[in-house]
Amino acid sequence: MRMALPIGYHYRNLWVRKTTTVLTLLVLSAVVGVLTWMLGFAGALSSSMAMASDDHKIIIIRRGSTAESNSAIPIDEYNQLVQVGNIAVSEKTREPLVSPEVLIQVSLPRLRDGGTTRANVAVRGVTEKAFEVHSNVKLQGATFSTGSPEVIVGLAAAKQFGGLNIGDSIRLGFAGDRDYKIVGFFSADGGPMESEIWGYLPALMNAYGRTLYSSVSLRLRGDADPQAATSQIAGPPIEMDGKTEAEYWHAQSKNIRLYLYICYALVGVMCLAAVVSIANTMYATVAGRTREIAMLRTIGFSGGSILGGFVLEAVMLSIVGGVIGCLACFGWLKFVGNTKDMFGANTFTTLAFEISLTPFIIVLALVAVTVVGALGALLPAMRAARVQVVSALREP
Amino acid sequence: MNLTYVLLQNLKRNRLRTALTAIAFALPMAVFVAALSLVVAMMGISRNNEQQLRLGVRNRISLINLMPEAMRRRIEALDPNKERITAICGMRWFGGRVPGTQASLTNLAADPDTFPLVYPDIGLTQADYDAWLKERTAAVIGRSAAEQYGWKVGDRVTLESTVPPYLSLEFKVVAIMESTMRSNVFYIRRDYLDESLKAAGEAYGRCNVFWIKTTSVEAMRQLQQEIDEMTANSPDATKSDDENAFLAGFIQGAGDIPGLMRAMAMVVVFIVALVAGNTMMLNFRERTRELGVFKAMGFQSSRVMGLIVGESVLLALVGALLGVLPMSALLYFYPTRNLGFGPIGALEVSPMAIVLSMVIALVVGLAAGLWPGVQAMRLRTVDALRKVA
Repeated sequence: MRMALPIGYHYRNLWVRKTTTVLTLLVLSAVVGVLTWMLGFAGALSSSMAMASDDHKIIIIRRGSTAESNSAIPIDEYNQLVQVGNIAVSEKTREPLVSPEVLIQVSLPRLRDGGTTRANVAVRGVTEKAFEVHSNVKLQGATFSTGSPEVIVGLAAAKQFGGLNIGDSIRLGFAGDRDYKIVGFFSADGGPMESEIWGYLPALMNAYGRTLYSSVSLRLRGDADPQAATSQIAGPPIEMDGKTEAEYWHAQSKNIRLYLYICYALVGVMCLAAVVSIANTMYATVAGRTREIAMLRTIGFSGGSILGGFVLEAVMLSIVGGVIGCLACFGWLKFVGNTKDMFGANTFTTLAFEISLTPFIIVLALVAVTVVGALGALLPAMRAARVQVVSALREP
Repeated sequence: MNLTYVLLQNLKRNRLRTALTAIAFALPMAVFVAALSLVVAMMGISRNNEQQLRLGVRNRISLINLMPEAMRRRIEALDPNKERITAICGMRWFGGRVPGTQASLTNLAADPDTFPLVYPDIGLTQADYDAWLKERTAAVIGRSAAEQYGWKVGDRVTLESTVPPYLSLEFKVVAIMESTMRSNVFYIRRDYLDESLKAAGEAYGRCNVFWIKTTSVEAMRQLQQEIDEMTANSPDATKSDDENAFLAGFIQGAGDIPGLMRAMAMVVVFIVALVAGNTMMLNFRERTRELGVFKAMGFQSSRVMGLIVGESVLLALVGALLGVLPMSALLYFYPTRNLGFGPIGALEVSPMAIVLSMVIALVVGLAAGLWPGVQAMRLRTVDALRKVA
């Protein structure tokens, strides 16, 4: 039977070379710390985008514009949109679920830097219908009244930007002369709309002197084909640009994905450095223990168990480093900050993210570091497994 | 015996370790030189912005709230003797894109008369400014925009605005700017835009931002306060910021790449220090006896220490060179400015960044060799000779 080397042997081996072990551990921790932060950010982005992937919601903007914020749709053109086939019908009012919306922005201080910089936060003017079209938007408390200047705030926006508590007022309007009171919050399953502020459409259009809508969102019936709807919208007589929610946000998050690719490239290089660093340590370990390894072979351990043993030793080291790295990242997020916001590719308004370490990310980081450790240890462990017993025992 | 000779022999002794350490050093240092280049470039931009003493005035509610062009005269009236203000340039966002593409350029319409006075620092010659002043459809464009679309001076370029009322206008490229921060910028003349808006029956004569070139820091700070006070509680309440503060919001919105790069640079220094330290500790452990022999032969402790620190520094410098040079070459031949992505476009390898990277490598090498070096110095010859690896 093949006999494995006891874990305690490796544990003590690591302990004997304390300095080297600690230095290698710290390299791994630093790499894993950065890696988990990036995975956390990528996770926050993809979970936000996953919440904006309702296939039966179509976002319509003017042909030639690139985002809701720079689109303009005249009211008579909006009226044509009811012709689109298979639009769902409101359960309350029996009206087709077509939501005209206006998108403006307000500059608000970022809380994470104490208001040193300001972010452009989207303000969306909506009607009753919006709550049925954007079915994942859920009120947390009161909603705005149609008669007085009131707005409700998405949870992510409330968390990251200043002056958005219930009872606070924000200045809006073309002339910036109207105070809008914040009366409630809303959630959107963590989707991009949670970074927005919502108010009553006619009131906001009036305040900004607008006669055009920005965009229109419509909900299709559950059995409808979204592609048929978007091609109908593109063709005459409507000739507008309709996208499913997923397509729209995929285009808007292009720059954020590019940012993440840059991050991945940087972390990838560091992971390679960690592999090499582990290899270095393990080669030294193997070289320093040649006689010992020969001894182990003599008493019956196979080359395979020695190879496995050394890989295991490196993996143990890596996992400890990985755990330290995860803890460091956790501490950073907790005490330094876990909020980040980025412009959409064309929206000019910001998307707020909250970076958090989910169990999935921690597992992913630990798997990655295990692979790093195993890769780094492989060649040195093979050398250990091939030690020539007789000559090694003869070494001084 | 020559110390350098011993150093080189020592590095050759465990070639595998030397190679691995050099690689483990080179990879992070490649990241480091890129990160540092961006940090250095951003520092240069920020210093230049400080020297240019430009104050940006925008609507307090948001940048998309337009202000009447008469604001320029109101601000000029704050300085009747022309002591504090050199010139004011109103700007309006046109957000043009090449027909058929998705991304819009950083496309701004600027007051033609004051543009040369407010922006003397964007790498244009007097002839360029003259051409700008003479040609109504003139466009001054950034290097990256020019490269990306293959535009040359003299070309006629049609852009479609992505903002209402979505005008499509033709411009004539009169100059290409070499300014790093304005690599993707496309300046056009505001009088031309206004005439076109007027002809289309649209509202005109409004600006998103006024850039004021001031004469001193004090003048800029005073004006910042005076302008915001003057407009407070009016329909055009403003928020004035110096150029760096103005840009800071956008840099944050683009993911705070300079912040990311600073953090990366620090992590990388930490990693390479550990890598180098680890190798030197390994070397020291394995050569303890040998060091004892050196001491027994009469080498002074300081020389033994020099041997270790020297090896560490040499290794660090070789490793750093292996990372810094290829990365610098890569960034030189494939500049990131064409990624057209916020401040990443400002990433240009500078000799300054390369020199700084090597200095950091030197310091790291010294630091990594120090601890084993000190231990070697303290080593009692008898113990060292007795030690079994």
